Amino acid sequence: MTPFRDPSADAEAGGRHRAFRELERRLMRRRISQLDPWLRVELIALALLIGAFLFWQVRVPLDGLHHHAGPVAVVRALGAAWLALALIGAVAVAVRHRRSLRVAVAGPIWLALPVTPEDLGRHLAWESRGHVLWVALPGLGALIAAIGLAPAGGLALLGAALAGLLALAARAGTAVGERLATHGVGRAGVHPLFVRLGETGVAAGRRRVGRGRWERGPAWRALWRKDFAIAWRRPGVRTSLLVALSLWALSLSAWSLAGEPALRHFAAFALTLVGAAAFAEALVVLSGSDPFATLRTLPLGVGSLWIARFAWAVLAVGVLSVGHGLAARELTPQALRLFLVWTGGATLGIAALGVNYGVTLFPRADAAQRLLGLSLGLAVAASVMIPLSGWIVLLSAILHSARRLPYWSRLEET
Amino acid sequence: MLRVIDLTRRYAALTALDEVSIEVRPGEIVGLLGANGAGKSTLLRVAAGVLPPDGGAVEIDGLDLWRAPLAAKRRLGYAAEEPAFYEELSAEEYLAFIAGLRGLDPVAAREHAQQLFRRLGLEGRTDEPVQQFSHGMRKKLSFAAAVLHRPAVLLCDEALEGFDAGSALEAKAELRALAEAGSAILFSSHVTETVERLCHRAVLLHRGRVARVLERSAWGAPAAGPSMLEREFLAVAGPPAT
Repeated sequence: MTPFRDPSADAEAGGRHRAFRELERRLMRRRISQLDPWLRVELIALALLIGAFLFWQVRVPLDGLHHHAGPVAVVRALGAAWLALALIGAVAVAVRHRRSLRVAVAGPIWLALPVTPEDLGRHLAWESRGHVLWVALPGLGALIAAIGLAPAGGLALLGAALAGLLALAARAGTAVGERLATHGVGRAGVHPLFVRLGETGVAAGRRRVGRGRWERGPAWRALWRKDFAIAWRRPGVRTSLLVALSLWALSLSAWSLAGEPALRHFAAFALTLVGAAAFAEALVVLSGSDPFATLRTLPLGVGSLWIARFAWAVLAVGVLSVGHGLAARELTPQALRLFLVWTGGATLGIAALGVNYGVTLFPRADAAQRLLGLSLGLAVAASVMIPLSGWIVLLSAILHSARRLPYWSRLEET
Repeated sequence: MLRVIDLTRRYAALTALDEVSIEVRPGEIVGLLGANGAGKSTLLRVAAGVLPPDGGAVEIDGLDLWRAPLAAKRRLGYAAEEPAFYEELSAEEYLAFIAGLRGLDPVAAREHAQQLFRRLGLEGRTDEPVQQFSHGMRKKLSFAAAVLHRPAVLLCDEALEGFDAGSALEAKAELRALAEAGSAILFSSHVTETVERLCHRAVLLHRGRVARVLERSAWGAPAAGPSMLEREFLAVAGPPAT
C-alpha cells in the first residue's frame, strides 16, 4: 500500500475548489431529478397562476402610466420595482442563511474535513442563495405585463438587470446572514464561522419543558393535548399559527376602520378568510410533525386523528364568532348572523381541507402544503372569474380529499 | 401470541421477506438473528404495522394486524431500532401521551413510568425535551414506551443497543418479567451473546427467509446473572436503580 503523503498547498486548494463545484453540480441535478412528475406539474401550474395573477394586477396600472407619462416612465417604475424585489430577496436570503448556520447545516460533519472557512463559507452560501429565486417570479410577471408598453430593447435590458440585481442580492444576503450568525462568537485563533458551526444545533444548556399530564379520555383528546404542546414549541407550527392569529386580529380590528361600512365589511371578511388559509397551513404543518413510525404502531384510527385536528378549527371558529359578534356592532342582527355563518362555514371548510391534505398525504407535509395552496389559489381565481364559483371548487376539493381518508392506515413513509 | 404467517415484503425488485413464518408463544422470548440486510428490521416493521405486507398475515393475540389494527395494536409494543419521538415533548409528557392514547389507567401508568425511568437511569431528566437526549437515552425512552402497557406481544428491534450495562441488565430483567407474565417477545439483535442469555429460541434469517430455528437446548444454558464484565461495570458505575 502506498503511504499517504501531504499534497502541496496549491494542489490541495485546487482539489477542494473542484470538489465543491462538482458537489454543487451533482446536488443541483439530484434535487431536480428527485421532484416527482406530479410535483413538477403542480409547481408549474402554481407559477403560471401566480404569474397570471401578477400580470393581471400590474398590466392595468402600467398601461395607465404609459398613457400618462410614456414608455420611459414604465421602465423607471419597473426599475424601482426591481430594486424593491432585490431588497426583499436579499433579506429573505439573509434570514435563511443566518438560520441555517445557527440551526442545522446540510452535509457531513464539515469541521472534521480538511476545508478552509472560505471554501466552506462559499459552499454554504451557495446552499442559501437559491432562495432569491422566489422573488424572480413576481419580477417576471411584471416584466411580461410591460410587453408593448416599453421599448423591446429596454425590456431586454430590464430582464438582464433583474437577473444581475438578484445575483447581487443573493450574495449580499448570504454575506449579511453569515455576519449575523457569527456575530458575537469568537475564540482566539479560530475563524468565527468554524466557532459558529461547532455550536450549531448544540443546546445551550439543559432546558426543562414540563411534566406529563396523566389523564384518561378518548384518543383524540390525548392527541389534541399533545398537539397543543407541540404547537407552541415547534417553530414552524408556531409561526404559521401566529400568522393566522395576527390576520384574524386584523380582521377584528377592521370593524373600527374609518370610511365606508362596505369597505370595513369586505376587509373583515377577506382578512378572516386569509387567516383561515394560514390556519389551514398550520394544521398541515402540525400533521407533518407526527413521527411516522410512532403513530403507526399505536392503536389510533384516522377518525381520532381527524377529530383531534378539526377540533382546532371548531375552537377557532367559536373564538372568532365571539370576536366578530363583539366587534361588528354596526351590523344588524340578521347581517351579523349571515356574516358569522359565511365566515364560520368558510373557515371550517378551509380548515377541513387542510386537515384532509395533512392526514392523507402524511408524512409529506410539503406536498400537502403545495396542494392546499394550489386548491385555495384555484378557488380564489375561480371566484374572481365567476362570483361564488370558488366555493364549488373548495367543496369539490374537500370531498375529493376526504375520499382518500380511509387509505390513511395503508400509507407508507416516503 | 404472535403469529407471522407466510409474510412477504418487497422493495421494488428486492424481496426483503420471502414467505416468512414465525410463531412466538405466550411466555416465550424468541431471538431474531441475521446479517445486515437479512430482513430483521423489515420483519419487525411489518409485524408492528409500520409497513404493509405484500403477502401473508400477522396475528397479534389472534387478531389480524391489518384487518383489526386498533384492537391488535392495543396488545402490541414496539421498540424501534431508530426510535422517533415528538422531540419538543419531555420524556414524561411523551409517556403520558402514549398512556392517554392507549387509554391506560393514569395512576397505574404514571407509577409504572416512574419505575421504568428509575430502573433505566432516566430519573432526573424526565422533564427535559427529548431533543436533548443522547442516543442511549432515546433508546431507553423508546423501550419504556413499548413496555409501558405491559403488552401481550412485544417487538424489540436492537432495543438494548446504546444502553449502558446497568440499564441493559434492568431492561433484560423487565423482558424476563414480561415473559413470565405471559407476553410473547420477538427480540432482534446483532449481539448473539444477548440472545444466548435472554431467549428461549432463536430464529436465523438469511436473505429474507427463515434459515434455521434453534431451541435453547441447542446452545446450552449460559451462566446465570451478570457476566464478569457486567459485574466490573456495576462495581465502577453502580446500578442505575437509585
